[in-house]
Amino acid sequence: MDTSPSPKSQYLLFFRNSGPENYQGLSPEQRQRLVERWNAWFEGLVAQGKASEGQPLETETRVVSGPGGRRIVDGPFPEAKEAIGGYVRLEVAGLDEATEIARRHPGLEHGLVIEIRELTPHCHLGVRTRPAAGA
Amino acid sequence: MEGTGPSPEPAAREPAALVEHFFRHETGRLHGALVRLMGVQNLAVAEDVAQEAMLRALRAWAMGGVPANPSGWITRVAMNLARDTMRHRRMAFGKEPALITHFEQHLATPAVAWEGAREFRDDTLRLMFVCCHPSVARDAQVVLALKILCGFSAGEIARAFLASEAAIEKQLARTKQRIAESGIGFELPEGEDLAPRLDGVLATLYLLFNEGHTASSGDRLLREDLCGEAMRLADLLVAHPAGRSPRSHALLALLCLTAARFPARVDERGGLTTLADQDRSKWDRALFERGLVHLAEAAAGSDLSEYHLEAGIAACHALAADYASTDWARILQLYDELIRLKPSPVVGLNRVVALARARGAQTGLEALEDLQGRERLDDSHLYHAVRGQLLLEAGRPAESAESFRLAHRLARVDPEREHLARRLETASLAGESAEPLVPELSPGRRSSRRA
Repeated sequence: MDTSPSPKSQYLLFFRNSGPENYQGLSPEQRQRLVERWNAWFEGLVAQGKASEGQPLETETRVVSGPGGRRIVDGPFPEAKEAIGGYVRLEVAGLDEATEIARRHPGLEHGLVIEIRELTPHCHLGVRTRPAAGA
Repeated sequence: MEGTGPSPEPAAREPAALVEHFFRHETGRLHGALVRLMGVQNLAVAEDVAQEAMLRALRAWAMGGVPANPSGWITRVAMNLARDTMRHRRMAFGKEPALITHFEQHLATPAVAWEGAREFRDDTLRLMFVCCHPSVARDAQVVLALKILCGFSAGEIARAFLASEAAIEKQLARTKQRIAESGIGFELPEGEDLAPRLDGVLATLYLLFNEGHTASSGDRLLREDLCGEAMRLADLLVAHPAGRSPRSHALLALLCLTAARFPARVDERGGLTTLADQDRSKWDRALFERGLVHLAEAAAGSDLSEYHLEAGIAACHALAADYASTDWARILQLYDELIRLKPSPVVGLNRVVALARARGAQTGLEALEDLQGRERLDDSHLYHAVRGQLLLEAGRPAESAESFRLAHRLARVDPEREHLARRLETASLAGESAEPLVPELSPGRRSSRRA
């Protein structure tokens, strides 16, 4: 058994529908306020130890598929709404807390869609380093 | 995925804070830099590029934090976008050789060249001369300046002027079209051209400021921003050799001296206060100082413009300990000169107020009857308010009440209406009010826009 203190779970918040077109109608002042509120949201979480990292993703993309990676497609794709624009990694008590945090996001009123996914404790590094994991 | 992610930089960063109005002013700055690269005829393209750069900044900075040098970041992005746009246009529209050559030469120069403060200052000034070009109507200049130089959105401009956004958009499109067609260059005017072009810029800044401070309509906070913008641009103007004339200093002095009184314009309950009963301790002394410094600079040479005179009047108010000890004789003298230089019923009305303070209500009333163009003031609540006040002081309360009633009916802004309602009440009480309560008629108060 793991003896580390209180089991916090890790979640990734994926930001979708965060393309520039969502903010086109905002005035410069409104844009600036949004940047400030968005940063305050994130910095607040960092200060409480609830967020460990977060980053925007470039819109240019490349998708590899098929055996041997034969199919390579350059993006961006027409369904820009579905594209992941960035992510934040949370370390919180559970899905409910992660949901509450997501609900306070200032980008929501501008169409932002947030998907919450828990990081499982299993991963291929974990398999090697944690002998107790498998049972 | 992996538990010990390779992400090298996140979490540790120190997010930079954005200065107030950063996006707004940065948009204006980018327009200057981009128009220099793309030419005045591509003003609309430059706007699109700046807009796109701002949107990228918004997205990146919201999720990734504000970089240490936000202005440099955004300039880099805008320049890359500009290059892509111009390449695309070259492919799409065939050759625009002169433009492209011009553009590529600029791109070959090192990035510091357009990030330098001096370049920026020059570009903004050049753009100011473009926006205030005589081929564009004055009202349209103000709107264009707000959009291009100050980075206001069409929606914000519409709110400030109580116009519809569509109407503002339409006006802007027309103005830009006109500029593109008239072949205005991006050089600073020189020699004989300079003085008349500079006059155009000053007139537009003056109008911009007045739009902000005449509370005739619109969003009050936004309108105060207009005054701030006019002062910011006037500051840029006097900081530049091409714009640094005694007249420019006089205008900036006038703006500073007038804006210094803003903090006292409304009382705790949001009611309008007149110059007579303003709490002068609320006046912004630092702004007064700045205004007086510029007024001194304005005295170099023999030029005496309307701005000199109006600034002189504002300075008299600034220097007076209270309303009663104001140097009304000096103010009257300045108004006499002003009305010679710029005859208008509103200047005349202001002069009457000064006259009445210097020589008594009866003299003021007589002058009011003889006012040039008086019939044009019939619909002005200010005219009737002044008349009501002078009648009250002259001991004719019934007529005074009648004038205040008329003024109240004509006033459009709530605080002014409330103020006039109080005056009406005073007059109706028929008692002899010895208080010299006169609505503040600041010299700049005249423009009115119907957008």
